Amino acid sequence: MIPNRQAVVRVGVLLVAAVLLQVSAVAQIAVFGGTADLIPIAVAASALYGGSVAGAAAGFAAGLVLDLALGMSLGGSSLVLTGVGYGVGRFAELRDVSHGLLPIAVAAAATAIYDLAYGAVTFMLGLEATVSALVLREMLVGMLLNAVLALPLFAFVRRVVRPVLREDLAARRRRGRPREAGPIGLRGLEV
Amino acid sequence: MYPDRKTIRRRRALFGGLVLASVALLTVWFGEPMGGVLHTLQRGAQEVLSPIQTGASRALKPVRDAFAWTGDTVKAKGENERLRAEVGRLRRDLASTQTTYRDAEQLAGFAAIARRDTFPAGTQPITARVIARSPTVWWSSVQINRGSGDGIRVDQPVITGDGLAGKVVATTGGTATVRLITDERSSVSAQVMPTGADGIVRPKVGNPNDLLLDFVEKGSRVKQGQTVVTSGFSATGGLESLFPRGIPIGRVKKIDRSELDIYQTLHLEPFAELKRMDFVQVLTAARAGERAEVATP
Repeated sequence: MIPNRQAVVRVGVLLVAAVLLQVSAVAQIAVFGGTADLIPIAVAASALYGGSVAGAAAGFAAGLVLDLALGMSLGGSSLVLTGVGYGVGRFAELRDVSHGLLPIAVAAAATAIYDLAYGAVTFMLGLEATVSALVLREMLVGMLLNAVLALPLFAFVRRVVRPVLREDLAARRRRGRPREAGPIGLRGLEV
Repeated sequence: MYPDRKTIRRRRALFGGLVLASVALLTVWFGEPMGGVLHTLQRGAQEVLSPIQTGASRALKPVRDAFAWTGDTVKAKGENERLRAEVGRLRRDLASTQTTYRDAEQLAGFAAIARRDTFPAGTQPITARVIARSPTVWWSSVQINRGSGDGIRVDQPVITGDGLAGKVVATTGGTATVRLITDERSSVSAQVMPTGADGIVRPKVGNPNDLLLDFVEKGSRVKQGQTVVTSGFSATGGLESLFPRGIPIGRVKKIDRSELDIYQTLHLEPFAELKRMDFVQVLTAARAGERAEVATP
């Protein structure tokens, strides 16, 4: 996605809403001992439909809003979510992302990477927390819940973002690499 | 159309810049005091966002409650099953404890009754557990888990920890059948203490909590609450009671005196809880010379 003002506004509103929804409601709904996390889903969806640049920017912005809203160590979430957004965006740019069930795998992977990377960052920042089986179970449950929520949320993000995409990644990929010109200088005539 | 080198460089530069910005934010945030720029900015952002968060939290409360209700219901279901299992286990434990307590209470009763001054000595009691009861409402007989192999013979008296229960009417090698004093065919020679009035204890069929002491002479000054024990009657000609003297039977609760009858009838409340007894003792060696029961079929 080539960023434009309308896209920035839409994705920005989407991310702020995701953060507020997450901290106000979703984080308080425990299912099987874990909670869903909308933020990595929103970032991953933005990156999947917008590309690596949009993904990294969305990740940074979402992390910043999250850290500001919750008073967490400023920059920690941004660092991790920037990586998540960039990685998913690069994946979307290099691979075929047209499969209908792909959001499930992307959401699960993004959540797992986010959880692990944020844990690593927190650990490096000197927070001495014990990684117990309970934490791992919560992470696993959270990943599964995000996988369950992936399809509707990705569809929603796509609906919000797609109208402002200047260039559809899938369409761009479908066009493929420009074929080499033939010996007589005409494309399409491989003689 | 694939991106050119410039686009790639710009993309990587943006990514690197954002990562560096994040690291810089972290570094500054950790390095600055609480009143620093970033902390102040964070507090400001929280002040701005907190009303929105509060509003969102209130607005989404029904959704949270709905999920919580569902979760609580599922959890309650699992907890219900767990608690049911625990209740079952505790009930079993309680039943076991109560059974043990009750057994101990009844067995202690045997020791207590044997210590009474009036209780016959040298009876060589054999303790047995009640293993079957007659299914009728009359509570006429029970089966015990001791038999002829344990030295139990027909006609031996049987007691509970409270008083007389009946007598043995049949034996096998390992079991014996006890006819209770509430059986219609039962009759026991008895004496009211301390007046010494004699009579025959018979059941009031259909009411195991009421025994009748018949053939008590009208002149006997019997009062309510007096104790009735086996009289251990012995007569000339070899007629003697199966029950040794001094086994408590019951307490006088009512006296029927009819002008026409030459005897008075006493209503007794039996000491032995025949409906609830789990243990009995068979007196295998009642003392000779103290038997005086009217023969029963």
